[in-house]
Amino acid sequence: MAVIDLNAPGENRLFIGNEAIARGALEAGIGWASAYPGTPSSEVIGSLAEVAKEQKIYVEWSVNEKVALEAAAAASYAGIRALAAMKMAGLNVAQDFLASLVLTGIGKKGLVLMVGDDPEAHSSSEEMDSRGIARVFDIPLLEPGDFQEAKDMMKWAFELSEELGTVVMLRSVTRIAHARGNVRLGDLPQIEQRAIFENVYNPMSPSPTAYMPVPSPLRHAFQHLKLDKARSKYEGSPFNRYSGPEKPDLLLITCGSGWLYSQDAVSTLGLEKRVGILKLGTLWPLPEKLVQSCLQKTNRVLFIEEIDPFLEGAIMEFSSSLSPERRTGIFYGKHTRHINSFGELTPDSVINAIVSILDIKYEPITAEYINKLESIPKNFVIERMLTFCPGCPHRASYWAMKTALRMDGRDGFITGDIGCYSMGLGPAGFFQNRTQHSMGGGAGVANGFGQLWRFGFNQPVMAVCGDSTFFHAAIPALINGVHNKANFILVVLDNSATAMTGFQPHPASDLTAMGEDATPVSIEVVCEAIGAQVEICDPFDLKSTIYKLLKLLEQNNGVRVAIMRRTCELVRGRREAHPFKVRLIAEKCIGEECGCNRLCTRVFRCPALVWDPAKGKTMIDEVICTECGVCADICPEGAIVKETVI
Amino acid sequence: MTTKTKGMAELFKEVINRGLCTLCGACIGDCPYTVFYRGKIRMIDFCNREEGHCYEYCPRTPTVLDDISRMIFGIPYCDEELGTVREIMMARTTDKKIRSRGQYGGTVTTLLSLALSQGLIDKAVLSRNSSEKQPEGMVAGSVDQLMECAGSNYMAYPALETLNRIPSDSKDKLGIVVTPCQAIALAKMRTSPPSRRVEISNVRIVLGLFCTWALDYCRFHGFLKERLDIPKIRKFDIPPPPANRFDVYIGKEVRSFSLDEVRKYRMPTCAYCLDMTAEFADISVGAVEGVEGWNTVIVRTERGASLLEMAIQKRVLETDKLPDRILAHLKEASMIKKTRGLKEIIRQTGDENNLLYLVMRDELRDRFLAWNAPEGGTH
Repeated sequence: MAVIDLNAPGENRLFIGNEAIARGALEAGIGWASAYPGTPSSEVIGSLAEVAKEQKIYVEWSVNEKVALEAAAAASYAGIRALAAMKMAGLNVAQDFLASLVLTGIGKKGLVLMVGDDPEAHSSSEEMDSRGIARVFDIPLLEPGDFQEAKDMMKWAFELSEELGTVVMLRSVTRIAHARGNVRLGDLPQIEQRAIFENVYNPMSPSPTAYMPVPSPLRHAFQHLKLDKARSKYEGSPFNRYSGPEKPDLLLITCGSGWLYSQDAVSTLGLEKRVGILKLGTLWPLPEKLVQSCLQKTNRVLFIEEIDPFLEGAIMEFSSSLSPERRTGIFYGKHTRHINSFGELTPDSVINAIVSILDIKYEPITAEYINKLESIPKNFVIERMLTFCPGCPHRASYWAMKTALRMDGRDGFITGDIGCYSMGLGPAGFFQNRTQHSMGGGAGVANGFGQLWRFGFNQPVMAVCGDSTFFHAAIPALINGVHNKANFILVVLDNSATAMTGFQPHPASDLTAMGEDATPVSIEVVCEAIGAQVEICDPFDLKSTIYKLLKLLEQNNGVRVAIMRRTCELVRGRREAHPFKVRLIAEKCIGEECGCNRLCTRVFRCPALVWDPAKGKTMIDEVICTECGVCADICPEGAIVKETVI
Repeated sequence: MTTKTKGMAELFKEVINRGLCTLCGACIGDCPYTVFYRGKIRMIDFCNREEGHCYEYCPRTPTVLDDISRMIFGIPYCDEELGTVREIMMARTTDKKIRSRGQYGGTVTTLLSLALSQGLIDKAVLSRNSSEKQPEGMVAGSVDQLMECAGSNYMAYPALETLNRIPSDSKDKLGIVVTPCQAIALAKMRTSPPSRRVEISNVRIVLGLFCTWALDYCRFHGFLKERLDIPKIRKFDIPPPPANRFDVYIGKEVRSFSLDEVRKYRMPTCAYCLDMTAEFADISVGAVEGVEGWNTVIVRTERGASLLEMAIQKRVLETDKLPDRILAHLKEASMIKKTRGLKEIIRQTGDENNLLYLVMRDELRDRFLAWNAPEGGTH
């Protein structure tokens, strides 16, 4: 990641959106930043953690987003500017606290909640637009449209938060958070942070803007007053811009990534003289005067935004509140199906909408060109589904679980969870995850199945979770299971890493986000203390692990925990040499014949095992093989040999 | 591979999931997709091949009795009560040690022991009982190891899995002890030798065991556990009719249970079997009705005759003529199993032209069906 604490105001640097946001927080003089990793928000705290010591700030990877926000709120109460960052799924985890936080208020210093949305759910279990939450919870909402704005907006968000006395939400999407652009650096303030939580609550005369520990319906009304104040601050904000003719034939109203696509589309179509673009950065509450003045320029409005019709709905609602002579003619957007209401947008989405509305003849690329585009990569790109890395212990764990469940023969299944092992849904995990929801969802759902024996249910259930997920969310489900005597096995896939999000530390790690000594919390000790039966397995020892799982399945009683302990290959591989020398003896490989039929490349499917159809044999790709040796135990012919390296 | 065989999907559909599997083990041991666990053949992954050894060798997939008989005996399947018989007699071991461990006459252990010591075979493939009296496969290379396996088992066990696990490059000459269904599977293997498994021509002698039915170990284990201290059991015995007993030799005593009670733990698939005397073995061995300590021995092939002759000459076995009355009863018992099996198959299919897995000449089928038990029949 780029170094974000360069003391060179006025210079330009290439940052991804998240680094720009982090830089903005530094320029605002924060003292606190906490988060739980999750795309597309992880680099915010990730880059702050790297400079935390030098900048004398406290940065924490919290156990989950709820604690991250709670802890950040404390910093705000104690007079330290605080940032909490998370992905939209994490916002869902933090919402309970957020709801009460909004009504109790913050401290003297600002609190900003940064939320990263993942349109098209490239790496999320659901597609969700978090802006709606800001409206529901009465929170001022900002969204940057490019990288400079990402920095400037984050800095301003703290001022706004303090002026209003409320938490402020800054929302971003993948294409801003992870794309790169030029950012002009500002000053880095030298602040002596001093934390003290004064008792400002005067029950005899509570101030509407000061912190009050007891929420009440009155605070709800006060929050609305804060929003009115925000609205007036928004009216002149530089984050809202109009570009285009005085009287456009079509007005695009957009925000965030939509702004870039809109500019691209208008420029491609050469319609700068006909189409105007109103880009909003202060989204909620709506800067009504500004919006109204733009609506009056035109008869046709097209909304460009990801994911939900947030501005579309709010502005149409606002427009209908105007007197008839002030209303705009026609609104286009998701409700007219000109723009899709799910998935990402592209410049093409905007182009297609504009030409349709303006009835313009536009020749997109020809079908012939598309065919050519699609055929060229076929020669270079191998078609392959998402899968575990070569050497990943999850592949071995899933192999063991699949074998044990099928040997057991009672149509047992796995309830899935969030992590790399979510791929247990697909061929990588042999299609074993039969349900899959959110963090801790696997263990939670298993609690339900674990009680259904009362209604004749007799399928064994294995819930999976990773080591980080265990601490984040699975513990209450485990407690519930033990206490209520549910029947299930919790399989903790302990690869000593929060791998999917980028190897951030978690409670079992030795070091904190800032590289300081941490107190590692032991998973098995926690499980045993809760009262579950615990077995520790090495997934690379397939035979022993399958045997242990079979024994646990046979027990059919109570909550049993099996910890599959093997370090993530990407972590291990950086520290150590390959554990074995692995090679394939071609003469012994029987390929598609009876007795094998490509078990290794068709079922096991480690990416390092490659089927050579010309030779009718498997070969090992030495470049990506990590020589973990598991395939040697899978091969029924002993054609793969592993030798211990001394 | 023969042209008309099918694959694993059909094996499970037509045999295993229909309850026809006899647990012979011909389909496992060499296949990574299937495993024997807790009394059943289980599919771990899906093989995908359209044709496989599993379907080809299974004794419950289409079995042309004439083809098998021609391959082993040179003649089509005959309508004799006991199958193709070269010689039939009574025999027992002369070795005291084997007599105390073996079942009845200890003939199987004696013949294998002789074959081993004479170098006719290098290893014997058999099963023995674990301390939990669960059958497990064993490759015996010495007489001591053979002795561990002595004693009847009565429980279905996939012994052919053990054969399939022997490395394909092994040069060991093999002897094997099989049940009637396993003998059929072995015969199918000899008809169309597998290319990636143990060399089937290494099997030099096939000793078959008489079998009326086999017990399902998984369920039967529960029956035993409730009543006995299993590790103390020394051996099991079902004495010939009219005894109607299942004897368990435990410690110094013998506990007897009603055979009707134990019969409830039979493998249901045994109801569709026609072969009581292991008709496709080299030598078939069973008890002698009413005569303790002796075996009935049926010699069927030249290599069987040659081994038996050697045993007699070396005086490790003593033999005697099987009394006519006993032979008659044996034939009757065998025919009862044949006709019961056929009738059960036809009842199942509802069509006398559909004999499930059996392919036999119509006239043979009709002759079997027309057979009647004489008055005052046996069991």
